[in-house]
Amino acid sequence: MWWRFRRHKLAMVGSVVVLLFYGVVLFADFFAYAAPTASEAQRSLLPPQPLHWLDGGFRPHVYGFSGRRDPVTLKRVYTPDPAKKIPVRFFARGFEYRLLGLIPADRHLVGVEGAAAEETLFLLGTDEQGRDLWSRLMYGTRTSLTIGLLGVTISLVLGVLLGGVSGFCGGGFDTVIQRVIEILRSIPTIPLWLGLAAALPSSWTVGQVYFAITLIISLIGWTELARVVRGRFLSLREEEFVMAAELAGSSQARIILTHLVPSFSSHIIAATTLALPAMIISETSLSFLGLGLRPPAVSWGVLLQQAQNVQALAISPWLLTPAIPVIVVILAFNFMGDGLRDAADPYGH
Amino acid sequence: MLAYLARRLALAVLTIWAITVLSFVIIKLPPGDYITSYIAQMSASGGFVSEAEVQALRREYGLDQPGYVQYLRWMTMVLHGRFGVALEWKRPVSEVIGDRLWLTMVVSVAAIVVTWALAMPIGIYSAVRQYSTGDYVATFVGFIGLAVPSFMLALILLYLGFKYFNASIGGLFSDRYAEAPWTLAKVWDLARHLPLPTLILGFAGTAQLVRIMRANLLDELGKPYVVTARARGLSEWRVILKYPVRVALNPFASTIGYLLPYIVSGSIIVSLVLGLPTVGPLLLRALIAQDMFLAGTIVLLLGVLTVVGTFLSDLLLLWIDPRIRLEGKQ
Amino acid sequence: MDRTRRRVTRREILQDAALAAGGFALAGLAPEVWAQTPKLGANLIGRLEGPELVRDPAKWPKRFGEAPMLAELVKQGKLPPVEQRVPQEPLILKPVREIGRYGGTLRRGFTGPGDSENGNRWVSADKLLFWDYTGNKVMPSVAQGWLLSEDGKSVTIYLRKGMKWSDGQPFTADDFVFWYQDIYLNKDLVPTPNADFMINGKSGSLRKGSDTTVVFEFPEPNYLFLDILAGSTSMGGGQALWQMEGRTMGAYTPAHYVRQFHPKYIGKDEADRKAKAAGFDGWVAYIKNRWDWRLNPDLPVLTPWKTVTPINNPSWVMERNPYFYEVDTAGNQLPYIDRIVMTLAENLEVLNLRAIAGQYDLQERHTGMAKIPVFLENRDRVGYDLHLDPALNGSDATLHTNQAYSGDPEIAKWLQTADFRRALSMGIDRDQLNETFWLGIGVPGSIAPAETVPYSPGPEWRKKWATLDVAQANSFLDKIGLSKKDAEGYRLRTDGKGRLRLELMTAAGTFIPQTQIGEMIKEQWKKIGILADVKEHERSLFITRVRSNEHQIDMWANDGSEVLFLFPRHALPVDPVEANLGYPIAVWYASAGTQGKAPKDPELLKALELFRTANGKKVQERYKVAQEIWKILVDQVYSIGTVGQSPATMGVRVVSRKMGNIPERQINAQHCRTPGSSQPSTFFFKG
Repeated sequence: MWWRFRRHKLAMVGSVVVLLFYGVVLFADFFAYAAPTASEAQRSLLPPQPLHWLDGGFRPHVYGFSGRRDPVTLKRVYTPDPAKKIPVRFFARGFEYRLLGLIPADRHLVGVEGAAAEETLFLLGTDEQGRDLWSRLMYGTRTSLTIGLLGVTISLVLGVLLGGVSGFCGGGFDTVIQRVIEILRSIPTIPLWLGLAAALPSSWTVGQVYFAITLIISLIGWTELARVVRGRFLSLREEEFVMAAELAGSSQARIILTHLVPSFSSHIIAATTLALPAMIISETSLSFLGLGLRPPAVSWGVLLQQAQNVQALAISPWLLTPAIPVIVVILAFNFMGDGLRDAADPYGH
Repeated sequence: MLAYLARRLALAVLTIWAITVLSFVIIKLPPGDYITSYIAQMSASGGFVSEAEVQALRREYGLDQPGYVQYLRWMTMVLHGRFGVALEWKRPVSEVIGDRLWLTMVVSVAAIVVTWALAMPIGIYSAVRQYSTGDYVATFVGFIGLAVPSFMLALILLYLGFKYFNASIGGLFSDRYAEAPWTLAKVWDLARHLPLPTLILGFAGTAQLVRIMRANLLDELGKPYVVTARARGLSEWRVILKYPVRVALNPFASTIGYLLPYIVSGSIIVSLVLGLPTVGPLLLRALIAQDMFLAGTIVLLLGVLTVVGTFLSDLLLLWIDPRIRLEGKQ
Repeated sequence: MDRTRRRVTRREILQDAALAAGGFALAGLAPEVWAQTPKLGANLIGRLEGPELVRDPAKWPKRFGEAPMLAELVKQGKLPPVEQRVPQEPLILKPVREIGRYGGTLRRGFTGPGDSENGNRWVSADKLLFWDYTGNKVMPSVAQGWLLSEDGKSVTIYLRKGMKWSDGQPFTADDFVFWYQDIYLNKDLVPTPNADFMINGKSGSLRKGSDTTVVFEFPEPNYLFLDILAGSTSMGGGQALWQMEGRTMGAYTPAHYVRQFHPKYIGKDEADRKAKAAGFDGWVAYIKNRWDWRLNPDLPVLTPWKTVTPINNPSWVMERNPYFYEVDTAGNQLPYIDRIVMTLAENLEVLNLRAIAGQYDLQERHTGMAKIPVFLENRDRVGYDLHLDPALNGSDATLHTNQAYSGDPEIAKWLQTADFRRALSMGIDRDQLNETFWLGIGVPGSIAPAETVPYSPGPEWRKKWATLDVAQANSFLDKIGLSKKDAEGYRLRTDGKGRLRLELMTAAGTFIPQTQIGEMIKEQWKKIGILADVKEHERSLFITRVRSNEHQIDMWANDGSEVLFLFPRHALPVDPVEANLGYPIAVWYASAGTQGKAPKDPELLKALELFRTANGKKVQERYKVAQEIWKILVDQVYSIGTVGQSPATMGVRVVSRKMGNIPERQINAQHCRTPGSSQPSTFFFKG
């Protein structure tokens, strides 16, 4: 299977990208160099700072800057000061954090020498409140990708289990499960989200809300999988080899495990890799509608929501950069799923 | 066959009933009611309401009664073919929705057509020419639509339209036609406004269908009967289109019933950003304003459409894939 | 038509008498105020100006003109000539710049059937009395004069002879009597008496003096009532505002029209039958629908424009009222503009983008401050001007501490400790907030209104406890017993349950980005060792939580508090509808102590008692009372002010360059029904 997977070049690229992203999830504190909440009006809406690599040798640095509000256009304007070079260092010391939530650490991917990174380094620029977008993006990645993973796991378990039972056992099970699916799917997702999200107790912490949102997203996500699984079961049940196994006296569980599951695993993989990006999109859409995670939580959805206005497009387009990881990771997941599916295809091609 | 249909029909009615209960509960879930959101709106917009008015309004709308009484009142009305008055709009729900329902249909159907028109050929092509450059390019293009959040795409296109093309901002009609009676010119005006929303909506759904089409077709293409057919010297495209494509369409058919609510849900966001007069923004607004009758009716309407759609898709499935048995396993 | 005029009218005398007797008069906006306006944005804040009332009969026009669209109707015999349509003594306005041209359709955006104020404010000329463009002087409007009795127990209103409803029927004192007898006193329509028509818990009454005089009477002195009639209150706010959305106030109504839906005149069975036939549950719902100007094009009104396509459509369209009572100095009947067309934009970004693209001719509502640079960038290319109209209220994002909070005894105790609140206030860096969210245009300070308002306790109270002082804040917190801190520097609770965590509640989708402001304040409070969790809620959930007394601190604008007695709810817990300082206290106050919970804080109690006495006080004394109340509120910091006196709410005005008679700056205040006091009837298209 591995060699078949390796043939699929886009899938390999996709997998590497996905792994990288989950690396960010695990080590967000390391990749960030500023606290995601550190705000300062004097650097509000600062454009991305160009990183200069050479200064008589390999000495990466950024320029210092001064900012003010233009009294005519009322925009914030910043002038870089080439005389003030601020050296950028890799694996520099910065704010303290706990690696993987356990090990105390203070090293970060990048940092600056002789100054606090929070106040000088803004690789992707800053938002309205002068918070470093790069660092916020790192933390947002952690939130959004865990939501996706958690959500898809729950959906997968629910979907395969219920879809399988429905398709294999048929009869009463099938009817009940199909009804439930039908009802859930018949309700447009937005009101379902809205109702459930608004009903969350307002005393909940950000963490609890986060988990609940995941649950809500996956509560709807599973029906799609269940339906696909059931459909495959229905078709496969008629296949000769299943009939033959039944006649040969194999138990139902055995038939499912040894014959049915492998024969449609490719389909499940395809559906799952599609479900994961859908989770991520759901999270961003919910936040856009103001129903998902809300600030001060940081997620891709929250970051994108803050870029969803005319002034961001016109004055500070860099606020849209969080869209790039969203697009990249969704593509990566899809290509990876594509390759996995092809690799698992029992008929090979 | 008739018995099967009758059973399905009875189940459909049961499902619709469950949907009414569930939609009512969902709308009632958030704390507060229409009156609180009304106060919120008034105080945020510089208007105001007195406490006595609050009490009077609550009585007037029957919001002082327990939930089940409100539900029964609503159901009685619905069974009599009345859907109540949209609280915020102060018009019968049927009128409020009526104006927008068919515009939603126009946008949705156009979006579905776009989706299918894009997804089918891409799916077939990339299954048949697996791993070719064409496959990569086609798949990539299909996925871009999935990967870009539609609300963002919509706003960006809207802004670029203004900045570089002086296009009118959003909506389905130009100012001059918004109120005008229907004429050929107005239809043309509508047609000119359609491409942006339908492309955004249709593009978003394309990848999913491409993916499923491709996966299924690959499954089928490897099967012995295809090999046999090829061996018999049938032309490549005839082999593919004759049977494997039909089987691969199975998931298409099984999801056709869900396409409408899916598109409507998706269109809520896009319609909101583009300012389209569809039921999407109406529903969102009704939910936020906790306008029970309006939101309930829209959810119910979509629910019924889905149930009917599922019913049809089951029939379609039966026709496409003869292997599916009618009865469950004994 | 020969029309004779009295050279000196009784009205003139009455007005002067009223002013002498205590007509409301804000101190003029002194020139030094303009010097004080912050430099940023100053080039966009022009001179305060507006149309003026012509009081000198010598300058009154002798002949009347009318819009071509009406002249056409007159020619066809469908409308009487203009001389018979305007009152014998119309309101004569001198437009801000020039005599305008008739015609044109004004394009605006609105956000849906809930956006009533978008139109209400434009037609607020149906108020009995109004404020002039400076917002500091009561002027005649529908009523041509008034008289406040020396004992304060009655106010007499003088109507215009020959004034007509928009359907041509006469407008007389009977329309007031009908409203009072058959609406206000009808228990089905008005179950409980209205606070604006009461004094110390006792109801006022209304009687007809003559066809053109109406007398409001009270059992106790109610000097404030003149302000109430001029304010945007349920007695003086006018028919359009107070008889929409199911409301039943407004002091007058077209009796001849409304009668046909009223059970007293047609019998209850017939009234219900009519309602059922129209699809309503009963006559109450139907009659409320019929007198809603936004919904019923047939409703006779006194407004400059009347609805032709109701608000619950994709476009809300208004057309000129052929019987409108205002004329310009040349005798042309107002308004100049034929129609107002508002198009639906359910998304504020779409609305703003349309405004930026010049698809609206005049938009001051829903246009956001954060978009000012984009407006500026496009104004010359598209052809519009941008005007900023700063408001008078002290703070657009005010932190209200719940003085009746009981969910957590320790938090409740601190919220009720003055030095704790003062420390929180001094821990806020308002300049940062101003620069970030107000583009540096706002004015940092406490909750006290602008110094120009006569209620203002004085400039020093704008600064009191309202400037950044981390050291003093910390010492206050240490002193009151919150000196223990954890490893990260956050203060610990005294009951040993860990960190002191405050919850700061914000609402989503407000004019000013509350949640983001909250996040920034949270960062600033770290320096004084205070941890606050910012929690954003949907607006209606926000209100629900306030009403169930669940919030600790919430954020809301204090707009309207600049006219403390007319709109106290953003400053004092007196109205249960919006009681950010504590719902139980507001219930206690509104029910005269029979329900709810009295505040424990003697200072708050004192402020509430002072407020209660205000109705019976004459204007100068009332100023003093208000100043006393403001001093208490600012000193005790129940509400923490941040940045105010900004154009955040309805102060970002985008105006097509085709339009004329547009004031450089217009008053932006709750009682002036912005743009009402600028008299939109005088705006016109230059062609």
